[in-house]
Amino acid sequence: MAPKGQHKYSVLLPTYNERENLPIITWMLVKAFKDNELDFEIIIIDDASPDGTLEIAKQLQAAFGADRIVLRPRAGKLGLGTAYIHGIEHATGDYVFIMDADMSHHPKFIPDFIKKQKEGNFDVVTGTRYALGGGVHGWDLRRKLTSRVANFLADTLLTPGVSDLTGSFRLYKKPVLEAMIRATKSKGYVFQMEMMVRARQMNFTIGEVPITFVDRVFGESKLGAAEIVGYLKGLITLAMDI
Amino acid sequence: MGKRAQSILLVFAAGTAAWVLLMLHSVLIPFVPVPQYLDEIAPVLPLWLLVAFGAYSLASIGYALVTFGDCPEAYMSLLKEINEAKTDLKRRGVQID
Repeated sequence: MAPKGQHKYSVLLPTYNERENLPIITWMLVKAFKDNELDFEIIIIDDASPDGTLEIAKQLQAAFGADRIVLRPRAGKLGLGTAYIHGIEHATGDYVFIMDADMSHHPKFIPDFIKKQKEGNFDVVTGTRYALGGGVHGWDLRRKLTSRVANFLADTLLTPGVSDLTGSFRLYKKPVLEAMIRATKSKGYVFQMEMMVRARQMNFTIGEVPITFVDRVFGESKLGAAEIVGYLKGLITLAMDI
Repeated sequence: MGKRAQSILLVFAAGTAAWVLLMLHSVLIPFVPVPQYLDEIAPVLPLWLLVAFGAYSLASIGYALVTFGDCPEAYMSLLKEINEAKTDLKRRGVQID
């Protein structure tokens, strides 16, 4: 099968204990790219998951081919920013997708991202749950309220001009992603947010596409007091820094 | 401190200075005529600003909460796809728990 475009898309999937989710998200990614006749590779960056995620990743590589599934394991949990750097070091695509491996982000939106990117030749295209056509499934009122307050605070303090700051389903031009990761200092929850703020500062153009977000089907998504405090600390640090 | 924090501080300082000037205008700038109504609203101006910002915040969060998009159909179709994926993956020799 000959790809119709000359572009190649690398998907970075950082994993930690995603033994259940990884095969299914990989299968859905392969399907989305093949159905749309796009050239792609999926780079799995596993941080030595004790549940044997890497072993499953090897089986996926055998099933779909080493040109499609690339394994870039690391010795331990070393953070999201360095995972992306580690992943793009050997990425052969000129565009890079970043998404969660837990199936909360659905690969069916990949053609929308690519279409949007081409429309405005955007440096970054970010998925938004908060635009018409987007949405979230599996959140109770408390979780929704927390998300809205978090987004309102970030929006007021940082004025990034992006409707979904904490979302992490995004398409980047590869050199743009490299430059942005180098400029980003924070870790954890604030990382994705800072990436968008830095993108604005560096005058990169950003497009938005609506996406749906289905909260983890397997495993648990946690949001406790510690996470909220961590978020607020990171937000204030970032607001003071820009 | 970054540029943004500096400019927020600058705006805050300028606003405070303007308010102090307004409150003490009869002492600081007795030669400038100030209308009576300004004297009446000046003491509550900071409180009014605080309440206005609070009201704006609540309204904006409330609106966003009411218009929060749900997507039950995305969940249903995902469950179907997961089953489809599992069947195909098993066939390809990938271990599924």
